Amino acid sequence: MNGSDGDRQYDVVIIGAGIGGLVCGCLLAKAGMKVLIMEQHHSAGGYCSSFKRGSIVFDSAAHCFGGYRREGFTRRVFDELQLEKKIAISRFDPSDIVRTPGYTISYRGELKDTLREFESAFPGEGKNIADFFHFLLSPEPHAFARIRSWTFKRLLDEFFRNEHLKAVLAIPLLGNGGLPPSRMSAFIGSKMFSEFLLDGGYYPNDRMQALPDALIERFREFGGEVHFSSPIASITIKNGAATGVVAGNGQAIASRCVVSNCDARQTFLCLLPPAAVPAVFREHLETMIPSSSNFIAYLGIDPQRVSIPRAGTSLWFLSHYDLDLAYKRARENDIDGFGGHLVRVSPDRMSVLAIIPAAFRDIRYWQEHKSRFLDRFIERIEHDTLPGLRNGIIYKDAASPQTLFRYTRNYQGASYGWAGMPSQLADPDMSKPSFLGGLYLTGHWTTLGVGVSGVVYSGWETARRLLKREKYIS
Amino acid sequence: MSKSIEQGIIEIIADIAGVEPGDIKTETNFAKDLEIDSIKAIEITVAIEKKFKVSVRDEDVPNILNLRQAVELVTTLVEKKG
Repeated sequence: MNGSDGDRQYDVVIIGAGIGGLVCGCLLAKAGMKVLIMEQHHSAGGYCSSFKRGSIVFDSAAHCFGGYRREGFTRRVFDELQLEKKIAISRFDPSDIVRTPGYTISYRGELKDTLREFESAFPGEGKNIADFFHFLLSPEPHAFARIRSWTFKRLLDEFFRNEHLKAVLAIPLLGNGGLPPSRMSAFIGSKMFSEFLLDGGYYPNDRMQALPDALIERFREFGGEVHFSSPIASITIKNGAATGVVAGNGQAIASRCVVSNCDARQTFLCLLPPAAVPAVFREHLETMIPSSSNFIAYLGIDPQRVSIPRAGTSLWFLSHYDLDLAYKRARENDIDGFGGHLVRVSPDRMSVLAIIPAAFRDIRYWQEHKSRFLDRFIERIEHDTLPGLRNGIIYKDAASPQTLFRYTRNYQGASYGWAGMPSQLADPDMSKPSFLGGLYLTGHWTTLGVGVSGVVYSGWETARRLLKREKYIS
Repeated sequence: MSKSIEQGIIEIIADIAGVEPGDIKTETNFAKDLEIDSIKAIEITVAIEKKFKVSVRDEDVPNILNLRQAVELVTTLVEKKG
């Protein structure tokens, strides 16, 4: 790089160092492109990050990842980047335990063990469960394309009769995707189920932050450049194509392409000049629905004083079987009406991460309600999942949807990009807008996948597409 | 009519699969030759629906294995629309 700052020239500028942006950046840099990642926060990872309070480490939101089985997609990408040189990835077994008043189901390292758990809890549905798992893990792509407009409920109805079983299967998806089966896309639900549950529970080193940090290291080794605390003010457009960005400090950075790993609304409505986005597309954006946000409790604990069932395992609880009602109550920020939670004790048994879906409200609302919300949430967790919790808490804090928005700039603190409904699946303009050259989007706003494994796929796909496309153009 | 449909479909596939339009022949297999996976197949279907203002039935999506089949299906849908 030479010349003044105004002459900076890159092949690609990536806005945002979430996992999607990092994977994309690594693959592009590895292919020989000159890549710059600009991240508004002071560290990498987005929702896949960790922070420290005193000597206690907390994962911010993502607390494990999936798709790392031998033939899994996450494994394929991490192997391609030789990430194992940087981090040790272990797996918790069981990865998840789902509990309701009538059932306890563990998702085990071996599929046959998980199958046995379901068979013994729901004896009449044994073959259906085996068929369902086989369908989810089937490598036949067309089976999934066929269900593109289905809801996950319709898919469950195809396989099962027992309503309790359907609810037990869908509880972690309500938690991981923010939608009940009646609203969730069958495709998104299937991918979440196969990647998060049947092949979930992987953890890098001693904290989630190890994953983005390792990707940053690899990115730099491939010759990439990354700037933290560097927000973007705008994307530069010339002759109908993205030709760089202007940083928050006014610095113009030229590039052949721009990849946005940030919020889709921010990309289209804030970073691009209004004239670059057709009115009809703006209207379309206004009608799109973001995924739900979460309220996350961060609790430092004295492990001697709390009954810890299983460190490292995601513990799901729901006190009833009506997921539509739970969804409705979550949108009203009604903890008791929702009746459930996800709790995960950190592998070092020093902290608890607890998550409940929550609706976005303004700062004033959360200033008024956050502390009471947290205390009530803790009471429920103590009652339903961690006996003695309140006596063992040595530190407590929480992130409201407002906090999540502030740190990650995801619209309304959305946890999974656009809501994973059938009508919002695979919108081509969300990964590469047809009305603009040189601009790509990557990450969970692309409507192609959610969660760590979903955005690893998205980052890989963006890089693949960009490399192929730009080769022809240049 | 079907020539412009073919051209429109080629543009969509070239863009989403990241290949040169000239690489897409009548019998090019989308999955094997162009690495189009299930989510890409859905993305292409959504793009076709937007461009030609038609609605592709779920059960037809798995039958679009190559350009010829895609053009046949879209031509039928456009004609039906009148």
